[in-house]
Amino acid sequence: MFQIPCPHCGLRNVAEFRHAGERRPRPDPRTATPEQWRSYLYTYDNHADWTRETWYHRLGCRRYIGVERHTVTNEIRPVS
Amino acid sequence: MSPLATHRLDPQPGELLDRSRPLSFTFEGNPYTGFAGDSIASALAAAGVRVFSRSFKYHRPRGILTASHLDPGCTVQVGDEPNVRAAARGLAEGMAVHAQNAWPSLRLDVRAANGVVGRFLTAGFYYKTFMAPQRLWPAYERVLGTFAPGGRMSGAVDTLAEYDQRYAHPDVVVAGGGPAGMGAALAAAQAGAEVMLVEQEHELGGHLRWGGPAELVLLQDLRAAVAAAPGIEVLLDSVVVGRFDGNWLSIVQRDLPHVEERLIKARAAALVVAPGLVERPYVFAGNDLPGVMLGTAVRRLINLYAVRPGTQAVVLTANPEGDAGVADLQRAGVEVAAVLDARRGEDLRRALGRGGVTGVETADGRRVACDTVVTSIGWTAPTSLLNMAGDRPWYDPSAARFRPSDDLPEGVLAAGGISGDGTVEELVEHGRSVGAAAAAGHGAAGRPAALPVRAHPERFRASTHGIVDYSEDVSSKDIIAAAAEGYDSSELVKRYTTATMGPSQGKLETVNTVAVLAEATGRPIADLGTTVWRPPYAPISLGALAGRVHEPVRHSPMQPWHEAHGAAQLIAGAWIRPDHYGDPQAEARGVREAVGIIDVTPLGKLDLRGPDVPKLLNLVYVNKWSKLAEGSVRYGVMCAEDGVVMDDGVTGRLGSERYLMSTTSSGAATVWEHLENWLQTEHPDWQVHVTPLTTYYASINVAGPRSRELLARVTEGIDLSPEAFPYMRVRTGRIAGVDECLMWRIGFTGELSYELHVPASYGLQAWEALLSVGADLGCAAFGVEAQRILRLEKGHLIVGQDTDGLTRAYDAALGPMVKLDKDDFVGRPELFWQEQLGEQTRLVALQPVDGTIVPAEASQIVRRNAIVGRITSSRMSPTLGRSVCLGYVEVGLAEPGTVVTVLLPDGRRIAAAVQPQLAHVDPEGERLRA
Amino acid sequence: MARYSALSLLRRGLTGQDWPPAWRLHDLARAYDVVIIGAGVHGLATAYYLAARHAITNIAVLDKAYLGGGGSGRNTAIIRSNYLTPEGVRFYDRSVKLYENLAAELNFNVMFSQRGHLTLAHNDGSLRTMRWRAEVNKLEGVDSEMIGPAQIQQLVPFMDVSPDARYPILGALYHRPGGTIRHDAVNWGYARAADALGVQIHQNTEVTGVFVDGGAVRGVQTSRGAVSAPVVVNCTAGWSSLVSALAGVRLPVSTHALQAAVTEPVKMFLRTVVVSGTLHVYVSQTDRGELVFGASTDPFPSYSMRGSLEFTEELAGHVLALMPSIAKLRLLRQWAGLCDMTPDFSPIMGITPVEGFLLDVGWGTYGFKAGPVAGESMAELIATGKTPEIMAAFDLARFAEGRLVGEKGAAAVGH
Repeated sequence: MFQIPCPHCGLRNVAEFRHAGERRPRPDPRTATPEQWRSYLYTYDNHADWTRETWYHRLGCRRYIGVERHTVTNEIRPVS
Repeated sequence: MSPLATHRLDPQPGELLDRSRPLSFTFEGNPYTGFAGDSIASALAAAGVRVFSRSFKYHRPRGILTASHLDPGCTVQVGDEPNVRAAARGLAEGMAVHAQNAWPSLRLDVRAANGVVGRFLTAGFYYKTFMAPQRLWPAYERVLGTFAPGGRMSGAVDTLAEYDQRYAHPDVVVAGGGPAGMGAALAAAQAGAEVMLVEQEHELGGHLRWGGPAELVLLQDLRAAVAAAPGIEVLLDSVVVGRFDGNWLSIVQRDLPHVEERLIKARAAALVVAPGLVERPYVFAGNDLPGVMLGTAVRRLINLYAVRPGTQAVVLTANPEGDAGVADLQRAGVEVAAVLDARRGEDLRRALGRGGVTGVETADGRRVACDTVVTSIGWTAPTSLLNMAGDRPWYDPSAARFRPSDDLPEGVLAAGGISGDGTVEELVEHGRSVGAAAAAGHGAAGRPAALPVRAHPERFRASTHGIVDYSEDVSSKDIIAAAAEGYDSSELVKRYTTATMGPSQGKLETVNTVAVLAEATGRPIADLGTTVWRPPYAPISLGALAGRVHEPVRHSPMQPWHEAHGAAQLIAGAWIRPDHYGDPQAEARGVREAVGIIDVTPLGKLDLRGPDVPKLLNLVYVNKWSKLAEGSVRYGVMCAEDGVVMDDGVTGRLGSERYLMSTTSSGAATVWEHLENWLQTEHPDWQVHVTPLTTYYASINVAGPRSRELLARVTEGIDLSPEAFPYMRVRTGRIAGVDECLMWRIGFTGELSYELHVPASYGLQAWEALLSVGADLGCAAFGVEAQRILRLEKGHLIVGQDTDGLTRAYDAALGPMVKLDKDDFVGRPELFWQEQLGEQTRLVALQPVDGTIVPAEASQIVRRNAIVGRITSSRMSPTLGRSVCLGYVEVGLAEPGTVVTVLLPDGRRIAAAVQPQLAHVDPEGERLRA
Repeated sequence: MARYSALSLLRRGLTGQDWPPAWRLHDLARAYDVVIIGAGVHGLATAYYLAARHAITNIAVLDKAYLGGGGSGRNTAIIRSNYLTPEGVRFYDRSVKLYENLAAELNFNVMFSQRGHLTLAHNDGSLRTMRWRAEVNKLEGVDSEMIGPAQIQQLVPFMDVSPDARYPILGALYHRPGGTIRHDAVNWGYARAADALGVQIHQNTEVTGVFVDGGAVRGVQTSRGAVSAPVVVNCTAGWSSLVSALAGVRLPVSTHALQAAVTEPVKMFLRTVVVSGTLHVYVSQTDRGELVFGASTDPFPSYSMRGSLEFTEELAGHVLALMPSIAKLRLLRQWAGLCDMTPDFSPIMGITPVEGFLLDVGWGTYGFKAGPVAGESMAELIATGKTPEIMAAFDLARFAEGRLVGEKGAAAVGH
């Protein structure tokens, strides 16, 4: 079980967190085309590499935090 | 009478036996005795038993091979426990031991005939036959299934067998308590580290235990030092079975006084892997005959258990440990008929005999009579834990074994025999230097050098074919044939022949498998590599993995009352709720006619405070919230970004910047996280504070035409008159003597009703007060089932039952709620497009034409055999005396009065009419506004 | 192709004659009519049906490792067709039918064991979903029905069906044609039959680039050289986003590890496949006597196949909730595979904006079940240029057009 350094709580087991998805900007809901909006809803980079993600510290401070994780090794590094 | 212990030696210096404690047990129904300290196998071997089981496929007799945990032939049934490792499990008084895989008996096994037809049962033979006709395969399969190896499950729950788990945070975990492991633990502890020293066997020492006098002295010294060292926790009968990301280790602990097995989960700063080496069997004809043993097996039997392995032995040795085995045999009074030295090119050709060894044929054609064949032909480094950490072992032909790489992952170190060769003193010293490095938290750079590796003859197979995987009955011939058929990589040959897939998971077999494959394909062993070692390193019981079950359930403060009044339980996620108290139809009638109260504590409740709450509400709900007056409540619907209905509930404004949001019971946690997500990631500038209050309040819904009358008797400080407290308002006051209660006037049931939120510790008091003062009004408790009836009569949807993972707001007939003139709200774009294109299906109320029939929920609505809708909710309505439903139909069928066909689960087709409104009862809402 | 039969086994057993290779090695040619990326069940089945049904044989099936080594060799080999939506049911029912005749068709015993499949319901919500599936199944002619605790107990004597259990068993969806198969045998059977028809299978041949020119695919770059082809099919699982990205196609796919485990063998006591969505577990017993377990996918995307302890802990707890008497049974091995999850739990099949670059991906946790029908349908698409009706619902465009498939309504774990 790898660990995530929570900026508020310190190094914690991943089981305390919920993965909340790749970080991607929300298109402007007033102007987004269906393609743009659905790309935001459904399409992922899904890199096998370093990825910027949001995790929710469900069993801790209950903050949403930014994390950079390598999706092959599960190594974590501070968000650059 | 127990058979005499004909093979028991006089006391040995390092023996484990307590000869003052004889133990009785049975094997195959016959009585035997052994001593405390014996393994099951050693006690039987002492009595001259040589056959312990029959093999999986050919049902060949099998005896002791390794005399260790890994011994493939010594797997037995003990009582109702299958697959017990007889060579490792300590003997206990009264054990009833049975051979596995033997039918009808170990001696006379009729399936041994498989051995005769073995040439037709080559690896993978089953892929090549029994193909047609397909309808006969189940019959073939039943026959094949009876050959399944392994013991028998009784089906009885062992209520005495407890399992538990423990968390640990040691600095250093040392896997393996041999000389290097003890050295590592000592040095790490000396450096101030907290150390866990984990040893699979019943005592520390590893191979020192079957060494000579010098080794035994060293062993005593090391044990004493470990015992004296502060900071070393010794775990015996325990195995590090897994290494996961972040040095998260699973350690299984056995032989504890009060629990069957314990799983220790340890987050270790450093893991020192010091398992020593596993002796590798040799492949030759007859290598699985009872009486063929490894050198280490012989040394264990003689030195640890004082068992004479046989009377006449032939030894094939390639290393000093093998030579020491010869000395042990001679000391034990075994006549060593021949020693073949592989270092001088000597070799075995085959072992002779049926049912047991009677002799050998050597490579140069000599025949030597013997009842025991001992091989010491090489070693396997059990790199499994290193492999789990990401290391790929590499093949070193000069050492004839795979070795860990020099560049191990951070926090993982290798010590002792797995790393290289040396005298016992050198192994201890290597362990010490690795232990010190582990304690210091050195990276790869600070690691001590691996031990040197001595040259070893590279011998895997004699000129004949023999068994490579004993548990799976796979021979070298099978592997060569598989390679010729195209299954020519380590992974394919494993899958095709099943070699290495048995209970020892390749610890004995992998290297021989790869070596034979290399021979077959002409490729070097180094290129082929091994298959990936997977956790667990040693088998672990489901009981230990599960531990004690910690599955919390949630009850409301009124639970004692519910239990005392015969409530039928409804499990709703973590909550246990009263489904009904005996007669839900009567409970529902009581609400329509008088007044009832229901415990709705599980409803999600979120306290929202701050100036920007209206912005948040406007964002997460599809409807508008800017103008909600203080003291008012409003129903709201939440959708996700894809427009799918996510939750619903009412939110009330309690003060100028104070709101209370209610959610569905199942959505409480999700909605909270949803709000936090929007506040924290998209709108961190908004000033809103969210506090969950779900269990801070006990919640009671009071419903029915006489609810006002009832509440008037227990309420202080709130004017309940319809003018002062109209529908969709919220008030704060004193109820049943409890201050700071909230009261909302809302109506899920369609009746005049009030939802009370009482500080939880007073919930039971308020509940009982309502029932007691309302007795003359007919006030009674009602459960979830009655509530479902009532809400269905009223046509209120339940998110998750009347919607699914793709239902958008317009499908669910929630269109009028959606305010597309808001600039933004969650899911707005999708709902905007849905509104433009129109929905495909729509939620409607339906009534079967024959009102006595209640179509089961999930009944399909069909046009001939095409699905055009489905029933999502259905009940018999006590108010109307007929069945009522909610369901989806294609939009073309949604016009009121349309008659559709409902296909019942029993195959009947009935007609049902679409209703003008969702509400079956009081569509104008007069009752709830009363 | 040397025919397999009891007689030929006997003959070769007597004469000691070796079997010929089940598939051959080839040099990589410069051009093929069709290049299929991924030698798992989907890629091999597509190649086989192209050759067997459409006489297209100039095909290369490329795999970066050994054949059948990805999801096709890591799944728990459960076959069923009791899906929720009519399009799902029809599709998987066709697959079951193909599986039923596969041993005979491929002359390779794939050991399809239709031992029955139970999906347990522990609350009224899942009872309703099971009934929904049963009703849709029956309408589509698939044998599927709701049964109660007594009948469940008969089918699985070890099951705890007591009403006071923490997760009481209220009923189950019983699907008689469901069962298990030898996954490796399916892969090998397709490989051998495709090879016999002239298809080239190239193991250890990694695709490192996809050539696209003028909006159409031209071929692929591999670790063994460049290959040109007018049709390139992405039949990968676990790497589908990465392979598609080589052609510039982004996918609504998120890759998650799915873990599985087996116990030591014991004598047969569980004849039926048992699934509990609420408890996130499915279990069956193999002919070898091992219990095979699976669970839901890991809760975050990852390409790591190292596995976790939490998986086995949760699994064991849930298995013992169902069958409390097997606490002493020991777990022998755990492993992981990669699953490409889509937003609607349905696959992505067919054309892409890049002409000639075709998809057969996004199979989530149910790819193996669909191997034959996916191969058959993809072969038809390649041969005729027309999308077969049976796979039409699974097109890539549905996401941009907001036409998701309704399998999302069913429980997240549905083996």
